[in-house]
Amino acid sequence: MREEVRQIQRTLEEQTYIADAAIATALYLSMTLGKPLLIEGPAGVGKTEIAKALSSALGTKLIRLQCYEGLDATTALYEWNYPKQLLHLKLEESSPTPEAEKEATIFSEAFLLKRPLLQAITEHENSPVLLIDEIDRSDEEFEAFLLEVLSDFQVTIPEIGTIKATHRPHVVLTSNRSRDLSDALRRRCLYHWIDYPSFEKELEIVRAKVPGIGDMLSQRLTQIMQATRTMSLSKIPGVAETLDWANALVALKATELNEEIIAETIGCFLKDENDIASFKGTRINAD
Amino acid sequence: MTDLDIERLVAFCRSLREHGLSVTPAEVVTAAAALQIIDTKDREEVFLSLRNILTTSVDDFPVFENLFATYWSQRSSRSVANETLQTRRTAPARATGGLAFFLEHWPAEIRSKAQPVNVPGASDTEARAEKDFAAFSDEELEEISRIARRMARRLAKSRSRRWRPVARGRRVNLRRSLRLSLKTGGELIELSYRERRPKRTKLFVICDVSGSMDIYSRLLLQFIYGLQNSFSKVESFVFATSLARITGELKGKTYQRALDRLSVNVRGWSGGTRIGASIASFNQQWLRRIDRRTVVIVLSDGWDTGEPEQLAAALSQLQQRAGRVIWLNPLLGGTGYQPLTRGMKAALPYINVFAPVHDLNSFRALEPHLEL
Repeated sequence: MREEVRQIQRTLEEQTYIADAAIATALYLSMTLGKPLLIEGPAGVGKTEIAKALSSALGTKLIRLQCYEGLDATTALYEWNYPKQLLHLKLEESSPTPEAEKEATIFSEAFLLKRPLLQAITEHENSPVLLIDEIDRSDEEFEAFLLEVLSDFQVTIPEIGTIKATHRPHVVLTSNRSRDLSDALRRRCLYHWIDYPSFEKELEIVRAKVPGIGDMLSQRLTQIMQATRTMSLSKIPGVAETLDWANALVALKATELNEEIIAETIGCFLKDENDIASFKGTRINAD
Repeated sequence: MTDLDIERLVAFCRSLREHGLSVTPAEVVTAAAALQIIDTKDREEVFLSLRNILTTSVDDFPVFENLFATYWSQRSSRSVANETLQTRRTAPARATGGLAFFLEHWPAEIRSKAQPVNVPGASDTEARAEKDFAAFSDEELEEISRIARRMARRLAKSRSRRWRPVARGRRVNLRRSLRLSLKTGGELIELSYRERRPKRTKLFVICDVSGSMDIYSRLLLQFIYGLQNSFSKVESFVFATSLARITGELKGKTYQRALDRLSVNVRGWSGGTRIGASIASFNQQWLRRIDRRTVVIVLSDGWDTGEPEQLAAALSQLQQRAGRVIWLNPLLGGTGYQPLTRGMKAALPYINVFAPVHDLNSFRALEPHLEL
């Protein structure tokens, strides 16, 4: 394995992100080749967490764009600060400044509201990490727009001109696969798939993230989570739920898992009434 | 990186393409660049890197893994060259017993039995509209597509009660225009307009293609194909004993091509029916996407071999999230049909609209139900 890849893996682990060779390689390629990284996988397996760990490992800013249906260019890119412009004009009403100059002032950067994409492009110190979260929730039109921004990292604002990124951001996109992304977008990105972790990996994550948890308890808890995922549930718990549960158990000072404690804390990892009922009916609970 | 590596990479990419992955020259270039910056002696690293670059979805992984094993083993370049020839010769195996097969052998006897129905001149559309599906001609199939497209277009155009500002429109947005006028010291120079915001209705269609639905499947699929290709917010699924998403397969210029893709990619046509289990697996994967602005259409005759409780539970879960659940049952068109099958009875309390689909008129009657 290449030294740089190992380095990435170690650095991420310092951020208590348990990275395997696959994710380290993906990040290495993404940073070296300058291509966005598209991460897919079920909910709650730590897709978003990768970007966070990456930004703190690199010591750069994390800029996050949360996608949703109806997200459009103004919310993602920039908007003029109308109230501030109005206020400025009102204050300047009686001043002898020529009209043209007034206009130039109110359409300057000081009156620009930078939304995540523009923020990422205008970051001057070093390359930030741009996280485009749940891209599958946005509309296809937005995806096309995004493609344009991601291809040359420049934005044209009619009143100001073209702004080009001085430091290309490291782009991480996540998707839950709730919609097919366009081929064009997929092709532009490197692709990485994260699945639910294996028992060993999950145990490692629990121990790294929840230091107060005992060996016995963490092992038992991970076993239960792994078994729970094999059940047919309407919401399969992810790693995020495992950690919530572990934290709850530590807060309650539990040292072992019995039926009573599980019943008290079951809401940490099962969020659906029917799921809870079927969990209680299985052997996982009883053992 | 040696020339040998490049040769191998190119052959590997070609083979991936032959197996249905979309690998463009741009990706081959990226892959070559990647090979220069990684440790090519570490087989795992080569595997992971190339997978990052050459696949675009987790669905590509099995094909990739197989081919990687053949191309990037520690063998000499000569054997690689031989393999290339071999992969090129073997065309992808065609599925037998898929939809294409079923359509070719589409119940001829049912068709001929139904033929005696009086088929007069083309002008007699009324009689045709009432004729049962079993005796449909190609033109009538085309008519189904047209109905679907019209419906979809209307759905895409439907407007909500809310307004949104637009640059050009017919109604002046007074409030915004006044605000804009402040820029020019109270002079109305720039006008802003407004229009009704488009409704964001989504459509999920789940179609039963089990044995008991055979004679209807072809028409219903045609209908879904029509919807899928004229309205962007449609997701379609089929099920017999298990659920399969067919949104991707149905997209395309011709229905025939869509059917070809379906027959290759989707298995288990005309099998038994497990509606409850299928809806439950639908919920598991897709419930997150269902909201109050979603219409869910289930096309099935309600013959379920699974437990009715499971169907009831799954449907009630679905109905709680969805804006409307429509169940279309081809049998309902027959006179004297009563929804008495166990499955249908269990489902009824959780359905908002229960309607027949057995002829053109019943399709036309659907339209008002789709608008939320």
